[in-house]
Amino acid sequence: MESKFPSRRLPLLILLPTLFVCGMFLYYPLAQSFSWSLLRAAFMGLRTLYVGTQNYVRLFTSSAYLHSMWISIVFAAGVVLLGLSISLGIALVANRKVRGARIYRTALIWPYALSPAVAGTIWLFLFNPTAGVVNFVLERTVGISPDWVTSRNLAILLVVTAAVWKNLGYNIVFFLAGLQNVPGQVIEAARIDGASAWRCFWKVTLPLLSPTAFFLLIMNMIYAFFGVFGLVDVLTKGGPANATNILIYNLYRDAFQHNKWGMASAQSVILFVMVVGFTLLQFRTTGRKVHYGG
Amino acid sequence: MKRVLVIVMLGLLVFSGLVLAQEKTKVVFWHAMSGTREALIQRMVDNFNLTHPGIEVVAEYKGSYRDTLNAAQAAAVAGNAPNVLHSFEVGTQQLLDMGIFALAQDVIDQYGVVIPWQDYLEPALNYYKIGGVQASFPWNSSNSILYYNKTLLDKAGVTMPREPTFEDIVAISRAVINAGVAEGGITWPMHSWFFEQWMAELGANLLNNDNGRSGYATEINLLDPAAVTIMNWWKQLYDEGLWINPGRESWSQARQNFTTQRVAMMISSTSDVNLTQNAAFDGGWEVGTAFMPVPLGFDRHGVVIGGGSLWLTKGHSDAEMKAAAEFVVYMSQVAQDITWHQSTGYFALRKTSLQALDLEGWYKLHPNYKTASDQLAESQISTATQGALSGVFPDIRTYIEDAAEEVYGGASVTDALTKAKGLIDQALVDYKELMGG
Repeated sequence: MESKFPSRRLPLLILLPTLFVCGMFLYYPLAQSFSWSLLRAAFMGLRTLYVGTQNYVRLFTSSAYLHSMWISIVFAAGVVLLGLSISLGIALVANRKVRGARIYRTALIWPYALSPAVAGTIWLFLFNPTAGVVNFVLERTVGISPDWVTSRNLAILLVVTAAVWKNLGYNIVFFLAGLQNVPGQVIEAARIDGASAWRCFWKVTLPLLSPTAFFLLIMNMIYAFFGVFGLVDVLTKGGPANATNILIYNLYRDAFQHNKWGMASAQSVILFVMVVGFTLLQFRTTGRKVHYGG
Repeated sequence: MKRVLVIVMLGLLVFSGLVLAQEKTKVVFWHAMSGTREALIQRMVDNFNLTHPGIEVVAEYKGSYRDTLNAAQAAAVAGNAPNVLHSFEVGTQQLLDMGIFALAQDVIDQYGVVIPWQDYLEPALNYYKIGGVQASFPWNSSNSILYYNKTLLDKAGVTMPREPTFEDIVAISRAVINAGVAEGGITWPMHSWFFEQWMAELGANLLNNDNGRSGYATEINLLDPAAVTIMNWWKQLYDEGLWINPGRESWSQARQNFTTQRVAMMISSTSDVNLTQNAAFDGGWEVGTAFMPVPLGFDRHGVVIGGGSLWLTKGHSDAEMKAAAEFVVYMSQVAQDITWHQSTGYFALRKTSLQALDLEGWYKLHPNYKTASDQLAESQISTATQGALSGVFPDIRTYIEDAAEEVYGGASVTDALTKAKGLIDQALVDYKELMGG
């Protein structure tokens, strides 16, 4: 759908507020991140020293940072794969016409509306090793009391699970919408031709869902790299021993706790380039397989 | 008609004059005390406003010490810093380097406010004295002490000496666990602050260059025998299941372990005396306090001042600076010092306060409040107990706590400390370079 404007000025004028906000809150800080990444800075910029590429060199030669990068990738893979598969399964089930379907669907979407701090606190109260509900029950029934936040693997598992749970609502909404756009006749036709339920899903539903799935793949990846910060901060604070110290948390720590604004800016630039790179890669590979068109 | 106009104009003039004459000087005070302490501060601020017409102090809780410091930095960059800032002791070097604060002594000299420094406990003053000049106003000062559950210890048949050793703690922990009266022997927040307190107790400077006081530090003494001894003891307690890990920097978690009688002992700040006594009363048990434990064979050197102090920012009008100074002086007065001490457990900073409470027999009824002061009074004066000064304390604490976590995870103490030392030394050198020192 195209609009025809009489002159060039009007569309520009209409766009101006959005461009201004984007400029102020997105592009200008981004540019400042780039320039600050070449500095060693303290006190939010009250003291600076030009160090060129030193920050980048130090980051790429630091085993701690490379470990953080690895953890983030593992983390993202977990959140994306688990998140998409579980929410697709739930969406398929929620798509059925049963009584109270509306209530179920609302309940499924609810966790998405929680703030990350609230969601994190809920999980903390559940899984706190000394005061949590889960360990209270486990101790009295099975007799074990796992140390959810002090054991490295359990801590990663905890954060991944909480992150997946938090984003289920978002994925389910989109999958439901996508499923409802799958024309009933196509499924019927496949069934009449003798296809099993599994084949129907794999060869008919999924390709028709692929635009939605692809979109969610990108969004979940962005969420796993950036949006999980709140959960990590409340649950493990990057610990134990940096097991859950994903890139976004590491840069927050360097900026707001260690007063190293230049180093943190360099990290944000690297993270930005990484995620943009992954997104482009996705478009080139998986994106080719997406089946557009009704 | 003209007459009415003149009368109305005169009336407005007088009215505006009255309004202007009644404008109070506003003093913005940012602090980092939450919960009951926030309410306490608000009451003290209300009292000040009531007794000082012409000044209105607005107190705001800004979050943890780190959050408060960050908020102050952001405000300084934006040009609207608060008049009075409450900051933790380890932020001192950073605050000095930020260059936005007026030194306490300068303010006192310039605005003629009266503070009897000679009445203050010297260690508290000395921490915040830089190059012989008082930089900030000590306010909530603490050190760490040992709390213990008298009831549980009695049940296990052990007693706590006034000045315990590491070995005493191990023995008592084993006794309470074997007697089945507690799940664990002792707990404390997994926090570098305690490591720093123990370094001072064992007489070791945390940093070089006289603990960072004669110049920017460039090295941390993490391979000093004292440091290794401390970390080895932490490891021993963890490996034997005598120490329960409440989590990293988890003050409330540690307190909870103690007040629910999961453990028989706790090491925490003296500012928890009021809290633990209330909890003990509710739980029907008795709480006692003792000095920090030291290893056998080491002399006891004393503790470092913890807690925080009050800083005044520059760049305000004379009226505001004077009002802010008056507020800080008020908070330091004996009456407020006693109120603050009794309602929290932060020790009384004024010798007059201590004398008054002694005279009135208050300490006989509430001996737990005196332990920290006694421990401080018996501390030797040295750079070790004066406390380290560094602009990269957040880094130092992160890496020391990382090292502890690695040791609990099975790494060797020397490896963990060496790794931490490497990272911290780099951070110290970077900071010194950035400040042009």
